[in-house]
Amino acid sequence: MELHGQRVHCLRCGQETDWRLAALPNGEYYCPRCINLGRVATLNKFYHVPEPNQFTVHQPVLTWSGQLSPLQEDAATTVDQGLAAHRHQLLWAVTGAGKTEMMFHGIAHALERGERLAVASPRVDVCLELYPRLVAAFQNTIMVLLHGRQELPYRYAQLTVCTTHQLLRFYHAFDNLIIDEVDSFPFAANDALLFASQQAVKTDGGCLYLTATPGPTLMRRVRRGELAVSYLPLRYHGHLLPRIRLQLAPGWRRGVQCGHLPTSLVARLRRSLTAGYRFLLFLPHVADLGTIEPLLRLALPDHNFTTVHAADPQRLTKVQAMRDGQYDFLVTTTIMERGVTFPEIDVFVLGADDPVFSSSALVQIAGRAGRSVSRPTGTVYFWIASQCRRVRSAVRQVDFMNRKGRALQK
Amino acid sequence: MNCLLCNARLPIRLTLADLVMLRPLPRLTLCNRCRANFARIDPAYACPGCGRPQKGTRLCAECVAWQQHCGWHLSHQALYTYNNAMKEYMHRYKFAGDYRLRLVFQAELQARVRELAADVVVPIPVTETTMAIRGFNQVLGLLGETSVAPVLRHRARDKLAQSHKTRKERLRTPQPFELVDPTMVRGKRVLLVDDIYTTGRTLYHAADLIKGAQCRELVSLSLAR
Repeated sequence: MELHGQRVHCLRCGQETDWRLAALPNGEYYCPRCINLGRVATLNKFYHVPEPNQFTVHQPVLTWSGQLSPLQEDAATTVDQGLAAHRHQLLWAVTGAGKTEMMFHGIAHALERGERLAVASPRVDVCLELYPRLVAAFQNTIMVLLHGRQELPYRYAQLTVCTTHQLLRFYHAFDNLIIDEVDSFPFAANDALLFASQQAVKTDGGCLYLTATPGPTLMRRVRRGELAVSYLPLRYHGHLLPRIRLQLAPGWRRGVQCGHLPTSLVARLRRSLTAGYRFLLFLPHVADLGTIEPLLRLALPDHNFTTVHAADPQRLTKVQAMRDGQYDFLVTTTIMERGVTFPEIDVFVLGADDPVFSSSALVQIAGRAGRSVSRPTGTVYFWIASQCRRVRSAVRQVDFMNRKGRALQK
Repeated sequence: MNCLLCNARLPIRLTLADLVMLRPLPRLTLCNRCRANFARIDPAYACPGCGRPQKGTRLCAECVAWQQHCGWHLSHQALYTYNNAMKEYMHRYKFAGDYRLRLVFQAELQARVRELAADVVVPIPVTETTMAIRGFNQVLGLLGETSVAPVLRHRARDKLAQSHKTRKERLRTPQPFELVDPTMVRGKRVLLVDDIYTTGRTLYHAADLIKGAQCRELVSLSLAR
């Protein structure tokens, strides 16, 4: 902790606080910002040892025997070279491109060089999903999984999988840091986490950002030339992203309150169902689920569906039931934005111009469609009350990647 | 302002009286949802000895046992029951050391201290080791600007925390305090303040010393029971 005039600067999370909020008695200070990781105060001193890289490498490092498509192969080579040169790079790959598998060769070579690596993500569920896949791919490497609810004690490991918050505990420790889904909440809006990711890597270390929807901060760094960027505009099955199509539905909210859904929405839902496709319908707020569910039951009486939201106690069973094909569709909020894959579905959003949907969230939502080889396309419709920048930017991002993808397909 | 416990934004609702009276605005610390998790104790429905919430105002069995053991019993009040929300709060405030959280209950505790109209307010002290690690005395934090008399201090530099012991072990704890200056309490109405009343052992030890210094009257108060 350091005192700069009226503000107290935390040496761990890099954030500043007004001294009146941070004061302890007797002229001491603590950091209220990062107290969830254990308190840092002027009563404490930080010690750190230079990272010794004490690892013995057991062959074979890579115990994964999957095949990459030629396009993935190209991206994997770029990743590999970037990691070898400790470069700061961004891999912009569309949703469902197979990002994790593309990192494997790069990680394996880095581990063979005896480097210490971390794979981090802002979301704990992404970490939980990633960890077993990495364990399976690198069976001979010592690994550790760190997150806020982890009960196992910390141990020194060559490969660390953690949430980005946990990076605050490391100082110049990693030769290479990989951050997955870097655009997602809370990383995008949190200076402490950006600071953490810079502190955690060695001064000559590299950083690889993976995302399907780079936000304005990352794009600014790309334009300034601080980040090298590589694209993967096609999905693992070689198809383009489904285009986002917009439908204007001015005043849909008032209509819903009077008891009728937009006609175009009902028609579109019926068409999907008669074609035999299942779908996800996204709504902006949990409260909307309650108003729209009875209207849908009236409009589509012989179809089986349910609603899911974040605080739903049966969330996991409902998602599993959808996966098993027990429901024709799910009505949900942003919780299904990433990480969930249902084959052969269509995606619809009612009220996509609501501020709860950021443009990256919209791209992610649109990316739920067309993820399987059996149906690599899908329909994506957004109903909006009025045009807005977030929706337009989402549409533009998808079109941009598709333009790049089309050039590759030729 | 944001809620100190869940960080939700707190709406500032000004009443006409706030504008006209030019008085300081009430300092909001908790959102309604967090506030609802804490259970206040009504002194009219609590044991007069230990402040435990109950139906009538008869002395509870525990206080009867203290009466038999010491020949007298405390007259203690507590503001809140020690439920899960309070446990979580104490953990964050005391053990994680989030000193800002003192503001959550400071105003209420100060108001009760004023109501009890004591000549001398005596907080339960913390050991030197705790002070060096935690950096604050949790009771003093809750009392805020209330003027207090440091009448008690710990005999030893450190001791095993009461919260790490079982009920039986806690009750067998020997006297941990000593008096700094008995003249400060002689002939006065004394208010002893602690953060939690669990078995009563700590407060009875402290009360024993203060009664020994010939105070006129002794009452005690804790945030939780």
